[in-house]
Amino acid sequence: MPPPFDAPYIERALLAGVLLAVPFGLLGTWVVLRGLAFFAHGVGVATFPGVVVGLGLPALGPIAGSLAAAAGFTAAVSLFERDHRLRGGAVTGLVLAIALALGGLLLTSVFRVAAPVESALFGSLLAISGADVVRCAAVALVALVTLVLTGRSLAAATFDREWAGPAGLRPGRGDVLLLGLLALAVVTALPAVGSLLVSGLLVVPAATARLVTDRLAPMQALAVALCALETVLGLALARTLDIPPGSAVAALAGLGFGLVAAVAGLIRRARHASRIGAGA
Amino acid sequence: MKRAAAGSPPAIVALDLSVAYEGRPALTGVTFSVPAGTLAGVLGPNGAGKTTLLRALLGVVSHTGSVEVNGSTSYVPQLSAVDRTFPVDALGVVLMGRYPRLGWLRAPRANDRRVAAELLDQMGLSDRARSPFASLSGGQRQRVLVARALAQEGEVMLLDEPLTGIDAASQEVVLRVLADHCADGHTVCMTTHDLAQAARVCDRLLILDGRLVAEGPTREVFRPEIIRAAYRAELLSLDGETALVHHGVHPAP
Repeated sequence: MPPPFDAPYIERALLAGVLLAVPFGLLGTWVVLRGLAFFAHGVGVATFPGVVVGLGLPALGPIAGSLAAAAGFTAAVSLFERDHRLRGGAVTGLVLAIALALGGLLLTSVFRVAAPVESALFGSLLAISGADVVRCAAVALVALVTLVLTGRSLAAATFDREWAGPAGLRPGRGDVLLLGLLALAVVTALPAVGSLLVSGLLVVPAATARLVTDRLAPMQALAVALCALETVLGLALARTLDIPPGSAVAALAGLGFGLVAAVAGLIRRARHASRIGAGA
Repeated sequence: MKRAAAGSPPAIVALDLSVAYEGRPALTGVTFSVPAGTLAGVLGPNGAGKTTLLRALLGVVSHTGSVEVNGSTSYVPQLSAVDRTFPVDALGVVLMGRYPRLGWLRAPRANDRRVAAELLDQMGLSDRARSPFASLSGGQRQRVLVARALAQEGEVMLLDEPLTGIDAASQEVVLRVLADHCADGHTVCMTTHDLAQAARVCDRLLILDGRLVAEGPTREVFRPEIIRAAYRAELLSLDGETALVHHGVHPAP
């Protein structure tokens, strides 16, 4: 590989980043369209007690611990959000607070492990292993196949849930599948980007793509491409400037969104002005 | 063009149907039937249980009593239930009507796209097929949702307030298409607040007020004393226009 990607650990990071762009771009589209950004953030942070238990019980390990915590968080949010009085992220905030409190208690009073807090929060793309890359590839494949097969039902249910149920498209089953995949993708990405930055990669490229297109398939393709591009550029920037890669990728994603939002705003304003001019 | 044969079983039968939400009754003891091939209007004031009746017919709310719908259903929910910002064009929405029959593995085929395009044409929207749903007017959106229900090819179509908040031209298109659908032997049951349109186009009316006030052929049911009982208002007809005048609400002199 040419510089700045001329080292095995950079190659692994590059491969993992591009592989993760597939589930992140595809899932991110549904996160943005269904207003699940807070859940996506929450499920990453709520893995904290699972990481602590996994570190305290080596037979379990932090990955299995994170997965269990993410599954528990997803199940709790899904269950309690059935109460229509608790909409708008209240349940996510509540379960997130409980998860963080539980993690803190487990860390200080039960396992007393030396939790690598910084790496848990921000991850390290440059430190991921070959096994991490294999997990990224597996999750990319699972997400791609599942979302291609269920994409039509998810679209119909997101557009008009009142209709999708009676039409036999089982929107509840799609919800469970989507939240489960989201939890799986987030946990897989934790070693690479950490629990605080993971939602940035899920939300920002898809939100940027939404500003560019009014069609679902192009939005998904663009979200995947942006996520991959921002990861590659972020890694190059991190290697060149010797800065944390997760932060570089997230900052680039934010910058990309800002640029696209500004250009889209200018185009909208120009079109509006030309319509007024044509009408005069 | 064909109508359902005389003597064929009713398309909808409800016997002593009751629905309650968290213990609060929404519909109590409703019994009625709708013959196949008819256009039935469900009338009643706000909170009368019109939407609840449709939801019971669709089987999405628990109820007591019995409900029988003979044939597959298609459905048009209230326009306000739709996420208008979803990135999909008009043709894409109509194609959604084909999804239930496709399952997970099959993608829409050329025939599905042809059917969807023809339905949009029938609704007078062939030139807006590739327009984002969000860019359409309220009336155009409603026409697209009716086309989606037609794409389902159900035998019984249920519509919740299809005439509410849309322009007169779109109302005419929707009513014409529904009348044609009935003439083809399908059954249509729609809730509406528009008494004049219901009286004009519906073969039968059901009037609700938490219970069944009246049901039957329009000419027998659309009577001042029945409307007064359901709406607690007088039916006023001037120059062909029908309006409700509520008791105790008089303009200041």
